[in-house]
Amino acid sequence: MTATTPAARSIVRRTPRVAVPPPLVGLLAGAVLWEVVAWSADAAFLPPASAVVARLWEMTVDGLILSSLASSLANLVLGFAISLVLGLTLGVLMGRYRPVDAALGVYMYALLTAPSLVFAPVFFSLFGPGRASIVAVVVMYSLFIIVISTASAVRAVPEHLTEMAHLYGASERQLLLKVVVPAALPLAMAGIRLGIGRAVTGMINGEMFIAVVGLGRVLTQAGGRFDSESVLAVLLAVVLVALGAVGLVQWADRRVNGWLPRTARE
Amino acid sequence: MIEIRGVTKKFTGREGGDVHALKDVNLTVGDNEFLTVLGPSGCGKTTLLRAIAGLIGWEEGDIVVDGESVRRPGPDRAMVFQNFALLPWATVLDNVAFGLELRGESRAVRHAKARELIELVGLGGFESRLPGELSGGMQQRVGLARALAVEPNVLLMDEPFGALDEQTRRILQEELLSIWERRRLTVVFITHSMEEAVLLGDRVVLMSPRPGRIAEIVPVDIPRPRSADVGGLEQSPEFTAITSRLWESLRTMHPDHRTSARAAATQEVAG
Ligand SMILES: Nc1ncnc2c1ncn2[C@@H]1O[C@H](COP(=O)(O)OP(=O)(O)O)[C@@H](O)[C@H]1O
Ligand SMILES: [Mg+2]
Repeated sequence: MTATTPAARSIVRRTPRVAVPPPLVGLLAGAVLWEVVAWSADAAFLPPASAVVARLWEMTVDGLILSSLASSLANLVLGFAISLVLGLTLGVLMGRYRPVDAALGVYMYALLTAPSLVFAPVFFSLFGPGRASIVAVVVMYSLFIIVISTASAVRAVPEHLTEMAHLYGASERQLLLKVVVPAALPLAMAGIRLGIGRAVTGMINGEMFIAVVGLGRVLTQAGGRFDSESVLAVLLAVVLVALGAVGLVQWADRRVNGWLPRTARE
Repeated sequence: MIEIRGVTKKFTGREGGDVHALKDVNLTVGDNEFLTVLGPSGCGKTTLLRAIAGLIGWEEGDIVVDGESVRRPGPDRAMVFQNFALLPWATVLDNVAFGLELRGESRAVRHAKARELIELVGLGGFESRLPGELSGGMQQRVGLARALAVEPNVLLMDEPFGALDEQTRRILQEELLSIWERRRLTVVFITHSMEEAVLLGDRVVLMSPRPGRIAEIVPVDIPRPRSADVGGLEQSPEFTAITSRLWESLRTMHPDHRTSARAAATQEVAG
């Protein structure tokens, strides 16, 4: 019985990232393709990538993007934080306690599949045209996927771990905090990653259709002018926000679930 | 002392039919006794152990440990699991300290105790490793250290070495014996290996399936300490005499009983 060798160990641990992350390669390739297609099609509604990037730069320099971005990000962060806390809590309760699952499960699936924007008028009448309505839309978009994936992650926690904890005298609270939640996190993380993407969509839709603030407002106004360069420039900014948010979630994933071998995580 | 009096346990099977996992089991385990339980797969060994642990209830009878009826898990009983049941995200140190953590011991106290046991099971230097970085044998050492850390009176072991290769199993048998010889501890050790049952036990309890009950209790009159030369022991006439007696009983329980000429030659019990 010998220790695993250092070499074997470093395979289990993470190998260092390569210098150019694969997503960047994909983005560059996409931009080139866009440029070529736009030039050869020469259509008014499809400006080339270079023009869009230039417009994004202009809008950034004159402060339009940044001031809108701050407001949008506040909506996103607030809404997603609510979804995360509420989603993990509901998910753990549903995954662990059958009656809760029986009571809530059907609603969660119904709301997951319902087009979230149909609730916009409800929020509008409840909360008015302010931030609260947009945050509510963000929650509506991102909450249910987190609830459902957390619940199934909790159901998948190996029984031998909960039995072991029982044997060593764990209270229900200890069982949840010290065994169930850490064991469920890797799988729940998949739902959280999907949730952040949906939250960005919710933010834009909320801003376009409810309150007309933030990036959504810039987008609506540019659309009204048939200014497709600006529309695409804002969309580009939104994509960057989404990528940043997903990157943040992935970073958190690595911090929390670093114990998993890499192949099991990605 | 563990007293098991007339314990009967049924499971409701998936198709409605009841599985009689334990039927009228009577057994007394003395203080500091090393009792091994042997029997074919499905004869209720795990069920018996989980009942003693207080992890499951039963319909009839009573289990009393040191004068107290078992109702739920208690600090006097610890368990070592066949599949180790380690927390994969926690270091060796935190895994060993887990039972103490649940009891609310301070970090300093539980880590000091855990380090002591990590040394005892020969894992010094591996405190900050994760279970996934360890071999099976090392993982089970962690499981053993975690059990010993809570200072139980009774150690319940469910085929703890069943998932390990032959050499590792041999080494861990020797180390378990030497730990038990130095610590006062009652052990109930489940196995489906005859050799292991005889090697370790003061008595071997033979269980038979459908319904699960005690078929026979065979005393093992091999002098202790045995930890020094486990290999040599297996060659001794006493050892051979007891294993062949166990085999006589076991072969009649085996589902392939009538055609077991080849099985008899290998003296293997189906797990
Ligand atoms: N949770 C359970 N539900 C239904 N049947 C069970 C359960 N646990 C064990 N059994 C049945 O009880 C019998 C004894 O099982 P077990 O104690 O695990 O046997 P062993 O450990 O000796 O292999 C088997 O027939 C098994 O199928
Ligand atoms: Mg078993």
